[in-house]
Amino acid sequence: MKAKNKGKDFCIFALLGILFFAAVVIVPFVYGVYLTFTDWNGVSQVKNFIGLKNYIGVAKDTQFWTALLLTFKYVIVVVILVNVIAFGIAYLLTRGIKGQNFFRAGFFTPNLIGGIVLGYIWQFVFSRVFVNIGEATGMKLFEISWLSDPDKAFAAMVLVTVWQLSGYMILIYVAGFMGLSEDVLEAASLDGAAGFNKLRYIVLPLMMSSVTICLFLTLSRAFMVYDVNLALTAGGPYGTTEMAAMHVYEKAFTSRQFGVGQAEALVLFVVVACISGLQVYLTKKKEVEA
Amino acid sequence: MKRKGIARLLALALTGTMVMGTLTGCTFGFASDPDDPNEVEEEIPIDTSVDTYEYRTDLKGTEISVLNTKAEIQVALEEIAVIFEEKTGIHVEIMPVTDGDSPYTKVVSLYNAGNPPTLSILDTTDVVALAEEKAEDLTDEPWTAEAEGYLTEINGKIYSFPLCVEGRGLIYNKAVIEEALGETFDPATVKTQEDLVELLDRLVAAGIEKPVSLAKEDWSLGAHQLQYVYETYDGTTDGAAQVIEQIKSGELNLRDYDRMNGFLDLFDILKKYNVAKGDPLGADYDEMAIDLADGKTAIWLNGNWAWPNLKEAGADNDDEYGFLPYFMSNDENDFANQKIQGSASKQVMMDGQMATEDEKAAAKEFLNWLVFSELGQQLVVYRCNIIPPFQNNPYEPTDPLSRSIYEHVQNGETFSASAIVPNDHWSILGGAMQKYLADRCDREELIELIEAYWAEQE
Repeated sequence: MKAKNKGKDFCIFALLGILFFAAVVIVPFVYGVYLTFTDWNGVSQVKNFIGLKNYIGVAKDTQFWTALLLTFKYVIVVVILVNVIAFGIAYLLTRGIKGQNFFRAGFFTPNLIGGIVLGYIWQFVFSRVFVNIGEATGMKLFEISWLSDPDKAFAAMVLVTVWQLSGYMILIYVAGFMGLSEDVLEAASLDGAAGFNKLRYIVLPLMMSSVTICLFLTLSRAFMVYDVNLALTAGGPYGTTEMAAMHVYEKAFTSRQFGVGQAEALVLFVVVACISGLQVYLTKKKEVEA
Repeated sequence: MKRKGIARLLALALTGTMVMGTLTGCTFGFASDPDDPNEVEEEIPIDTSVDTYEYRTDLKGTEISVLNTKAEIQVALEEIAVIFEEKTGIHVEIMPVTDGDSPYTKVVSLYNAGNPPTLSILDTTDVVALAEEKAEDLTDEPWTAEAEGYLTEINGKIYSFPLCVEGRGLIYNKAVIEEALGETFDPATVKTQEDLVELLDRLVAAGIEKPVSLAKEDWSLGAHQLQYVYETYDGTTDGAAQVIEQIKSGELNLRDYDRMNGFLDLFDILKKYNVAKGDPLGADYDEMAIDLADGKTAIWLNGNWAWPNLKEAGADNDDEYGFLPYFMSNDENDFANQKIQGSASKQVMMDGQMATEDEKAAAKEFLNWLVFSELGQQLVVYRCNIIPPFQNNPYEPTDPLSRSIYEHVQNGETFSASAIVPNDHWSILGGAMQKYLADRCDREELIELIEAYWAEQE
């Protein structure tokens, strides 16, 4: 009787969801994996099974590996900067300063602007505003558009992403700080913990659950970056800022190597899944109960 | 208390810098205001008094769809569809493609969804990729006789309707040149690269410091510029295909190919006089149109599709703009120095796979009506502002750039070669050209990149 009820509950609450999930996530994913073993070009009616040929194509596509390496560099810088900045600002904004709600909203605003719009706004800032500042002040740094130099264009990508993503993470960290138990902190102070020691041994361990979420979100977002990449640099100058996701799209739809592009997308998926899975596992282990 | 103050100050400063980025966007204006609210759009009236076209009446109620990938003619096409429906009872649905979507991606996804458009406006390379699998054979259509030289044949068959002739070259602003030099300017006097340099030097001496605008966009560099190397082989599409085969097989060494060297010589000249010489990859496309219209520059490499940009930048239909050839050598008798490139650039493909016989007949009727009826002819020229490749169309384009192309076509001063290159040619070799434009690689490295690209193609 009980088991039967459970089945009914399951059907009422989960079946529909599972069906939708299967229809829009599982089935396309499996079908996508199947496509990597065929020579389908996106149009033709016949799909021939060609084994691992697409994966050999991936291995040979040096541009993809360059893009992936660049993405790693980008992810490392972005994840560190976003989390350090967000943690720091959240710390400041939970100390009861005047107008802190205003600041929280202010920092969160960039996150509400879509990546494409953001990219175009910043493109204007980098290629017009900065250059005008450079002309007016003679500062070497702003002499030419940041987007026409490979290194500076990369820095521009990082800057915009950090600007956009920090606000979201601030929100999560703020929630974490608000949840800290005053008793524990006070006890620590009485025991003589202060300044950095208090942060390192008391606050940080208690904040680990927020850190887990923030790291996961920044990792996956940074790995899959496409909109800002497209709108801000479009991979330029001369393809030097093309990240992995963008390369996958270009491969499939501009170069029309559908199979290779699809296989590259799968490789990217595996990389991101492994790394973020590992991250969640490692940071989860560090979480403590107050 | 003091600590709190510092924290507050810090937070304030940080928000300040973050917000600043968005605010500064508003404070920089353009040299000439592109949106004048008092400007009234003048439209040339369509003469409906004569209409000798014999309409078919048996197709009433049929519905067809057109995938439009030429955003600037969307409104015009919708107007045309309404008039066509009034006359024939055939409903034409115009489906736009948004800026971000590529025509090919869009049409492929529609095919995969089982709902392809009856007619799709595509680039020639897309037609070549799709035709034999999907398209209706249009070889026997009556309009083919009127578009000689502008048809794309695939294995002896015609699968597409050439929509418009587009040409490209060095756009000049006649008024600016004449004002600077203090004399009338006759474009026919510029016949070689040396003549061009002389003209540019005189412009510099007359106070136009950097008279050339050079776009940094990869599609401009990779497709519109670099493709001259193939297209000027002998000025025909077949010739372009031949030279590409020779480059692919390694038979032709680009270092010894006179068109490659001639092209780079001209490109170096344009680079030298480039208005954005200090930061060529920071050049802004919209600003180039403004510079040319305002007289900061006098020459811009582009095609007649740039008219809407120039118009927005303040140019008028009565202004005198024209095209100089893309000079490939110092030989006056070289055809590349006498003619400008002009070819059918957008092709309309008809679905042959899913469309019913009625839909096919209706779509064919629509195309014929555009070519053979007085109404269709006027609408194409005056509303879409395109140059039709059909010889029987007596109406002349109205904007100066199209007029210049039209006159060159009429005088036999165009060559219609259009190189059929792989779809990522513009993007990958456009990147290589950007590198050369920014002086981050030399000729040798550029040629190596081009060779490597072609070696990878099957």
